[in-house]
Amino acid sequence: MKRVSDRIVTGAAWLSGGGLMLAAAVVIGFLILRGYKNLDLALLFGDTPWQAAIMGERPVFGGIWPAFMGTFYLVFLSSAMAIPIGIASGIYLAEYASRRLRSLLGFFVDLLAGTPSIVMGLFGFTAILFLRKTLLPEAQTCLFLAAACIALLVLPYVIRITETSIEAIPEPLRLLGYSVGFTRWRNLRSVLLPLASRGMLSGAILAVGRASEDTAVILLTGVVAHAGIPGSMFDKFEALPFRIYYLAAEYRNLGELDQGFATSLVLLCISGTLFLIAVCLQKSAEMRWKRR
Amino acid sequence: MFACNGNVETFVLFRLSDKSEKWIEWILLIATCISAVAIIAILSLLVAFCLPLFTLGRIRGVLSSQWQPSGGYFGILPMCAGSLALSLLALSIAFPAAMGICTLLHVLARGVFNRFLLATVRFMTGIPTVVYGFVSVFLLVPPMREWLGAGTGFSLLTAAFTLSLLILPTIVLVLHARLEQIDPILRLASEALGLTPIQQMRHVLFPVASRGMVVAAVLGMGRAIGDTLISLMVAGNAPQFPVSLYHSIRTLTAHVALVVATDSRSMAYQSVFAAGLGLFLVTGLITLFIRKSGKAGREVRREKGF
Amino acid sequence: MILIRGTVRRCGLLLFVLMASLPGVSSGGSLERFAGLEGKIDIAGGTAHIPVMNDAAKNVMDANPKIRITVAGGGSGIGVQKVGEGLVDIGNTGRALSKEEAEKYGLKSFPFAVDGVAVIVHPENSVKELSSQQVRDIFAGTITNWKQVGGQDAGIHLFTRDEASGTREVFWEKCLKKGATANTANVVPSNGAMKVAVAQDKSAIGYAGIGHVDATVKAVYLDGVVPTQENAMDGSYSVVRKLYMNTKGEPSRLVQAFIDYILSPEGAEITRKHGYIPISR
Repeated sequence: MKRVSDRIVTGAAWLSGGGLMLAAAVVIGFLILRGYKNLDLALLFGDTPWQAAIMGERPVFGGIWPAFMGTFYLVFLSSAMAIPIGIASGIYLAEYASRRLRSLLGFFVDLLAGTPSIVMGLFGFTAILFLRKTLLPEAQTCLFLAAACIALLVLPYVIRITETSIEAIPEPLRLLGYSVGFTRWRNLRSVLLPLASRGMLSGAILAVGRASEDTAVILLTGVVAHAGIPGSMFDKFEALPFRIYYLAAEYRNLGELDQGFATSLVLLCISGTLFLIAVCLQKSAEMRWKRR
Repeated sequence: MFACNGNVETFVLFRLSDKSEKWIEWILLIATCISAVAIIAILSLLVAFCLPLFTLGRIRGVLSSQWQPSGGYFGILPMCAGSLALSLLALSIAFPAAMGICTLLHVLARGVFNRFLLATVRFMTGIPTVVYGFVSVFLLVPPMREWLGAGTGFSLLTAAFTLSLLILPTIVLVLHARLEQIDPILRLASEALGLTPIQQMRHVLFPVASRGMVVAAVLGMGRAIGDTLISLMVAGNAPQFPVSLYHSIRTLTAHVALVVATDSRSMAYQSVFAAGLGLFLVTGLITLFIRKSGKAGREVRREKGF
Repeated sequence: MILIRGTVRRCGLLLFVLMASLPGVSSGGSLERFAGLEGKIDIAGGTAHIPVMNDAAKNVMDANPKIRITVAGGGSGIGVQKVGEGLVDIGNTGRALSKEEAEKYGLKSFPFAVDGVAVIVHPENSVKELSSQQVRDIFAGTITNWKQVGGQDAGIHLFTRDEASGTREVFWEKCLKKGATANTANVVPSNGAMKVAVAQDKSAIGYAGIGHVDATVKAVYLDGVVPTQENAMDGSYSVVRKLYMNTKGEPSRLVQAFIDYILSPEGAEITRKHGYIPISR
């Protein structure tokens, strides 16, 4: 006994599902269509010979190599800060913290997770102004500052995923170590962390993915349109997402516009791949306990 | 990274004394406190940079309804309204769509299609914001300009469409996770009562998950308010109240990005920190709300970002 | 004493000009000043300057890989703020510094080019000429249809610049005579973005440095005067500004070398290539 309202709801549901897939297909298809032609060495290195560019012998103009390397350094630095701290926090919250402390500290983690990235960028900007007035009159917005702000932005992901991966381990296994006389840390190190490693790895990859795509933070913390490859952590830098933003607003000719499409495609591939790996790891980590 | 070397010999060899265990605990605690310190630092720096507004008695000027720096008006209320209108509109597009997709996932679609749909949703969470903005500038703005016949195409509606794509996967995944938690017996019972799949969804599953739906909506709202790039790139950035769908608007986030570059004594510059503080407080309230929602909030944490 | 020093400097300049005019010495001669220098120069601010700065930076970095030059936009407001706070070495402005700005931060200005600000529309727009009163009314929002100024029946799409823009200040002061801009106007963050936005929208009107105007947009006659750099130079086109580089106090040796390079004949050539009229020393 099919009712009219049933049919309407069914239709609407298929429509929204179809709409979603269509939108995803259009976004990706459009980028591939406009961008794939320009995926070549010239996109990366402009007219500089690629060997010389990679060795850093000659600066690259016109290519996205400096932006690519800028994003790479940014991701590397912010991961190096966020992943160890995040994993340590996750372990503490899951295994050590008392209920009250856990709720309190967990609240701060949630607040951090909810903070918009532009506010995080503004924080970096004000922090540097503050430092200049007090301790470090020479401090400037730079790669290190941007990486620190991005690390704060992705930290909650690492913390929460570490925490949930440890909690997801079934009770008998969690108590296994204690039953053979392990201390708490010993049990963690030898039993819990290896069992939770897949989930934790997915958290780390997710953090890398988020760090590579964020634009609003770096907008206020030292990204510039032309910088070359950063020579140190205290230099200004270029980055892929900012390059896309910049090209969308002010391409000077069709060549630059095409470069914008190709750059978008490159960034989409990087962060899309990272997300897919993270999701697959997460799912397989969950399945591991569900089968039992 | 964490090799499993838990055999008894190593255990005896490297047995940690209680004292060093305490030491480890302290390190872990300090790492955890970094999040708390960061939040306190963000809040206090923003407040500190807003202070001149209060001491100079400019706060009323900033909380007024006109932005015209050349005329001495620095009100950010149009931007507040812009943020609110944009995120509500994006939510009103994305939320029904998310309900529809969850209906598909739970009662209508089966097998391969179901998995494919879910995979698409998950993949979409990985698309960078700036890529949505970029595609929208070239794919959505020109037709909007042609079809609407008024305005430049950089408008509230264009930004809302783009933004709804950004928040849709988050809402779908949170809602989906909540629906999965529902006891299968409930579904069997409703099936036994002779309810069609759609009726099950409408009268049993969605009502049971209502709390989770609210949380999903609020979370989507939070992401929409916090997003910068889409509104900066496609909303047009005109500092006016959102009076129609095809007019250009400016959000608080875009305001921060656009105006942070002005003279540091001017009121325009100080209004940026007021906007930042406002954003921080609003998203803080949203977080608080989600936490208070207890159980439903826990699934959010698990699914967030996926 | 001052007189003598001035004479010495003038002689030096003469000598330089002589040397520069000798065949064989001129090529690369301008870049020789960077020999033995190293370090980095951070540049930010005016968006009209960016093409010139980029090309100059490319030449310098190609000649001397030990020098790193970064170029950022942001607008004149950023230029003043960042150089004033010491966040960058050179802050570019597309307008003269206000007295307070110069005094507060102790800034030193180096003008290097003249640039007019033109009203630009889509190339297919049939309107060729506007009076400055019409431009004022359009930007104030009292004229809202192209029909009212002799064009097709289509709503006017206003584009303006962000608060940090020097181009906006010059346009507001010299063309709009400090009149209000309607809040319906879309805001774009740079000269380049203005050009792209107007080039894509048939009903758009905006303004940009004449150096940025190319075939994708059309500069309208203002009160019957063609907006070209020549007219801007001789004063017949009135909406004109200079492009400045600013440093906090005296520039360091490296920064001074860069500024000298921009002001050298080779730098002037770059400036001219991007549509501006170079100012010689």
